[in-house]
Amino acid sequence: MINFPLSLLAVSILGAVLAGFVCSTMGTFVVRMNLASIGYLMSHAAFAGAAFGLMLSIDPMIGALIFSFLTAIILGPLAEKARLQSNVVIGFLFSFMIALAFIFLNYIPGQAASGTALRILWGSIFSVTYNDLLLLFLLSFVLIVFIIIFYKELVAVMFNRKLAESSGVNTKLFYFTVLFCTGFAVSLSLRIVGGLLVFALIINPTSTAYQFFYDFKKILIFSPLIGIFSCLLGFYLSLMSDFPIGASIVIVSALFFAFAIIISPKRKVNKKKRIRLLKTS
Amino acid sequence: MINNEDIIELQDIETIYEGEKIPVIHNINFTVKSGEFISIIGPNGAGKTTLLETINGLLSHTNGKGFVFGKEIKKHKSEIRKDMGYVIQNFEMDPLAPFLCRDIVMSGRTGKIGTFRFTTKKDWDKVWYSMGLVGMVDFGNRPIGKLSGGEFQKILLARALAQQPRILLLDEPFSNLDYAARMQIETLLNRLHEKYGITIVMVSHDLSFVPNRCNRIVVLDKGSILMDGKKQEILKSEIINKIFNGNGKKK
Repeated sequence: MINFPLSLLAVSILGAVLAGFVCSTMGTFVVRMNLASIGYLMSHAAFAGAAFGLMLSIDPMIGALIFSFLTAIILGPLAEKARLQSNVVIGFLFSFMIALAFIFLNYIPGQAASGTALRILWGSIFSVTYNDLLLLFLLSFVLIVFIIIFYKELVAVMFNRKLAESSGVNTKLFYFTVLFCTGFAVSLSLRIVGGLLVFALIINPTSTAYQFFYDFKKILIFSPLIGIFSCLLGFYLSLMSDFPIGASIVIVSALFFAFAIIISPKRKVNKKKRIRLLKTS
Repeated sequence: MINNEDIIELQDIETIYEGEKIPVIHNINFTVKSGEFISIIGPNGAGKTTLLETINGLLSHTNGKGFVFGKEIKKHKSEIRKDMGYVIQNFEMDPLAPFLCRDIVMSGRTGKIGTFRFTTKKDWDKVWYSMGLVGMVDFGNRPIGKLSGGEFQKILLARALAQQPRILLLDEPFSNLDYAARMQIETLLNRLHEKYGITIVMVSHDLSFVPNRCNRIVVLDKGSILMDGKKQEILKSEIINKIFNGNGKKK
């Protein structure tokens, strides 16, 4: 293991904690609203956007934000009205975004291009800047305030959009807020986790929390905790083994999910219920 | 008790789905008095759900004028919805869904409480009272995905009642339920109407389950109103026999 200056370690750890928090908090809404496919596309659009930013020698985060927001604006209304056949669109747009990203990466000026490109692709915890930290912290704060103020509306929308709307909730506002906040979370975490893997940090921790709790409040508490823990453990694994940080985080969060499925009390109850039904029928 | 206030008034209503040309419902003219219990019946595809969604404002009508509580639906839908409980057609719930029944019932009050306001003890009292009305107080802390079809329907009903609505819109409240559960829901609706005088507009494709308290039937076929009258008259009519093949079952 290499020795790093304490300040660099502190910034990196804080970056991992905040990225874990924002991504897995958004995951609770993305998973419940069946937005996995559009979120997946947004994360790859953000990757292409970051490459675009590098090509133009501007901050890749700005490019990532523009591309993920454009995806939300164009595909959001289509997905909302169920006019998006997710498997077809993902097959087409996923490859398109990756192809765009590779073309942009090819045109990055200067010698340091390959290193920068790889950091965007696989993630690099040590490339986190104070500016990134500040933005991640701001987004975390906004998310916490948003959840506290709109908790009752969020429960209504997450349960059933149509019913929520029939009771007077502006569901469209929450739908697009979730999409844009996901775009923010993905773009700000891109440098840490990497463009190809960032979406796993949105899905895995929430899917793990889903295996244990029936209360949405608990999902909202434990999903970010699992996300943060995955990031910290992934960071440690990356330092110890020299694995890319993004890959380490995803491996840890995927292992948590696999373990959760095995020991999930929810699934055990369902299995017992199925056996009982089979015996009685 | 029925009084003379026109609580719902529809004039030449036509609704077309976005991107389509043919209206799902057209030339709909009818009024509902406060305290009435109406069943809208018709075969599948007749436009029953579209009509309910138009009344609630979930679907925007493309022609005509619609009023609820004397207010135009298009202009005042968020205001109208606060006093209008809506129970959608029984849908399959993910058994792992992370929601407790009490939270689902509380979600019915979301619009009523208003934005930027937190739930209070008074709101929770209303939630438990509504759950009591449908006999589901003991289910407050149960996961929503673990309920039977009948229990789930009762929770959806409690959710609508927690809103303290003046109008209750019910979309196929008996669908996907076994006989015993249907009887329970029917008894519940009769009791709610008798005791609290809530105006109920119910949609159903099943003639065999028209609650006793229902005093008027509107027959919908191919998007327009075919008949509108007292329950006894409508159920005896030959047109109904033609539509439903004479035995309460759809053709």
